[in-house]
Amino acid sequence: MTEVRLSQIRKSFGAVEIFRDLSLTVPAGSFTVLVGPSGCGKSTLLRMIAGLEMPNSGGIEIGGRDVTEAEPSDRGISMVFQSYALFPHMTVAQNIDFGLRLAKVAAPERKRRVAQAAQILDLERYLDRKPAALSGGQRQRVAIGRSIVRNPDVFLFDEPLSNLDAALRNQMRVELAELHQRLKTTMIYVTHDQVEAMTLADQIVVMNAGRIEQVGTPSALYERPATTFVARFIGSPRMNLLDGPLAQEQGAATCGIRPEHLHLSEDGPWQGRVTVAEYLGNETVIHVASEVGDLIVRQGGQANLGAGTPVRLTPETDRLHRFDSAGLRL
Amino acid sequence: MSRSNFLIGLFKTIALLICAAFVLGPIIATVLGGFKSTGDLRVNPLGLPKVWETQFYLDLIVDPAFWRYMGNSLVISLSAVVLTLIVAAAAAYVFAQIRFFGSRFLLSYLLLGLVFPFATAILPLFITVRDLGLLDTYWAVILPQAAFGLSLAILLFKTFFDQLPKELFEAAYVEGCGYIRFFWRFTLPLSTPILATVGVFVFVQSWNNFLLPLIVLNSREVFTWPLGMMQFRGEYLTEWNRTLAFISLTLIPAIVFFLAAQRYIVAGLTGGAVKG
Amino acid sequence: MTLSEPSVPRRRPRRHGKMTATLLMLPPALILFSLFVIGPLLMAGYYSFFHWNGYGTPQDFVGVHNYERAFHHSIFWVSVRNTVVLLLVSIFIQMPIALALALAIYRKTPSNALFRLVFFLPFILAEIAAGLIWSFVFDGNTGLVAGITHALGIDPVFILSNRDFAFYAICLVVVWKYFGFHMMIYIAALQAVPSELIEAARIEGAKRWAVIRHVQIPHIRPAIVVSGFFAVIGSLQLFDVVIPLTNGGPSNQTHTIVSYLYTFGLTRLNIGYGSAVGVILFIAAVIVAVAYQWHLNRESAK
Repeated sequence: MTEVRLSQIRKSFGAVEIFRDLSLTVPAGSFTVLVGPSGCGKSTLLRMIAGLEMPNSGGIEIGGRDVTEAEPSDRGISMVFQSYALFPHMTVAQNIDFGLRLAKVAAPERKRRVAQAAQILDLERYLDRKPAALSGGQRQRVAIGRSIVRNPDVFLFDEPLSNLDAALRNQMRVELAELHQRLKTTMIYVTHDQVEAMTLADQIVVMNAGRIEQVGTPSALYERPATTFVARFIGSPRMNLLDGPLAQEQGAATCGIRPEHLHLSEDGPWQGRVTVAEYLGNETVIHVASEVGDLIVRQGGQANLGAGTPVRLTPETDRLHRFDSAGLRL
Repeated sequence: MSRSNFLIGLFKTIALLICAAFVLGPIIATVLGGFKSTGDLRVNPLGLPKVWETQFYLDLIVDPAFWRYMGNSLVISLSAVVLTLIVAAAAAYVFAQIRFFGSRFLLSYLLLGLVFPFATAILPLFITVRDLGLLDTYWAVILPQAAFGLSLAILLFKTFFDQLPKELFEAAYVEGCGYIRFFWRFTLPLSTPILATVGVFVFVQSWNNFLLPLIVLNSREVFTWPLGMMQFRGEYLTEWNRTLAFISLTLIPAIVFFLAAQRYIVAGLTGGAVKG
Repeated sequence: MTLSEPSVPRRRPRRHGKMTATLLMLPPALILFSLFVIGPLLMAGYYSFFHWNGYGTPQDFVGVHNYERAFHHSIFWVSVRNTVVLLLVSIFIQMPIALALALAIYRKTPSNALFRLVFFLPFILAEIAAGLIWSFVFDGNTGLVAGITHALGIDPVFILSNRDFAFYAICLVVVWKYFGFHMMIYIAALQAVPSELIEAARIEGAKRWAVIRHVQIPHIRPAIVVSGFFAVIGSLQLFDVVIPLTNGGPSNQTHTIVSYLYTFGLTRLNIGYGSAVGVILFIAAVIVAVAYQWHLNRESAK
């Protein structure tokens, strides 16, 4: 079980500064997800941990060892790429075996480990195929297999599921979660999809424009977002953020309330009209133009509300989130 | 670690510089040689000229024969380009757009030219050109040059035309646009990148061609520049500096043309090569 | 069909449009190609059975005599040997150099772009100009070689007049002229290797050499095969460079197949004999092309 610690990282590409002073600790054995919009620096951060990018200053420690200057292969990490990065001219078995062969592991041992990885990932039937003859999900599993056989201290994942279709993505998400439970190895996972982050992580790191907005468990981030950015980013449909008189009443610059904490009622304090009601089967997402601003309301089951229907809304006032003018939680 | 990286980098740079010297040395010596007197060239072929003699370059620049050679080459090459582009594009369009009995066979026939070297049939080609009464005319070079460029041009054009969206033709057809009009109005304008690539290639091939003009041109009036240069070399056998000046002057258009058309030359090379 | 008002007078798509287009656009290519490519090729086959000086019509039918003559002519075999030497030099010396240079400068940096331009420069020059430049370089009296021997205080060397070494000098010129072409093919292929593949290999523990051996070279294999094909075809056709350098001499020791064909076929007006040599060259080219196609088919079947 290995901890990863980044301290006071500064990184720039030419004149463009990505990180000014970034520090982060990834606890040993955790499944930590770096999440944020594209361009926030999450992939660069992962690539610095991998050793594919060098920080301009600052230090990186893996398992208490300073690896800031170390080669990628000397860091005890493995990485799964967004495009899988399988070697097209090698068979599945050769792909999985590649790192072991370079590390000059003895042949019987290599064979054993490849077979074991293939078994874990249900790839035994495909060992002699080339990547081109595999489906997207199978390729993804080969890429993971290549990571597993080296028994790394830390697994790195760079948006590994973004090239898969929705159904397969869900399935692979479950498989990854199971893999983590089985191996208990530290995993660092980059995604822009907050659903992946919420479902996989035991620690989420929300990043925005080269800064860490908040680090915490999924429920901490959901229940107590530290900034308006996190409030907006985590949760779907997203949190209603209101400023104006309502926020001032609460002594805040911005006030937030999640769609499920707003209820349609006969005598609610806020009046408005339905603009669109999206029926999703188990619930309906209702968009309301109200006197306090545009709101999204989430309601179980079906609601027969045509556009223009007047409604009244009751907020759960104890579920209000308050933020100051800098966007920080009060 | 960084020290060995530094050494590798140093070694690499030195190796690259040696290769660059190997490549550039003869060219630089040629350009400088044109500025040297015969005596200077004999004792000092490598260094800078003792006295910069501009006479050999100037003699050539005012020599009408030199410009006639260049002019002949230009007319022949441009004509070969135009002929190849029109004829090959028209044929490729038919293969890409119209299905008819025997089209596969005719395409394979036209692509036969990819297989064999130009030199194979050079003697009968001479006979053909002679019997057509074309010896010592521009056509003697233009027609065979275009004919030998056809196979590659048709292949590249057809591949490109096949990739143009079919809906475009269908939309135009529904509007009442016929095949030939569609070719002029849509296919050709949409194909400028491939036209440029093929055009540049045919031009370079024709401009540099030596064997074909050598065989079908005898009169100095119609000589292309490679023939003129060999002729010149023969006349001034002992005066290398004159020949070197001649070569240097012909390097200029080649390099200027390359820099201008670099994109197409490299694209043609590598595109064709990577596809196989 | 219906009673609806006929709107705009509709132009009927002409049914015979296809036919017109085909009959108008295809024949120019067919005529040009048949007249100047296929025709001469077939004629070469025909003439090769005659003893003929090119005037009148061929009458003196000699069967396969022209072919026998070629196979019994020692100079013909010299030209074949030279072509094979050139082919081996191209494949085993030129291509590895080109590959090494491509690996050194395939990344897109300003200095690499400059080196690329320099290395590609000889390829854009006319063969005839390259040949002349190098005949100056090799000239024992005034050339660069002369300068070197002069500086070393040894007797002038006339390498192009040396029976044993002249052809190697030609090979050197060919390497100089064409390595940049092969290098460009490799560079384009190397730039197309996804960077993630190389990063993945580095994470798996591959050092620079292992990345080259296990990732980059396997990935650009098709490009290497293509460039090898070009090298072979180019060797078979080499002519322009030879003429200004040695013109086939000394004592006909530096002929390539094409310069042999030119010298013994055309300049001596042995059209029948030259045609026979042309046919032999054609067969060699076809064998190469078929082998190449066979290789491609086998690759894609894998």
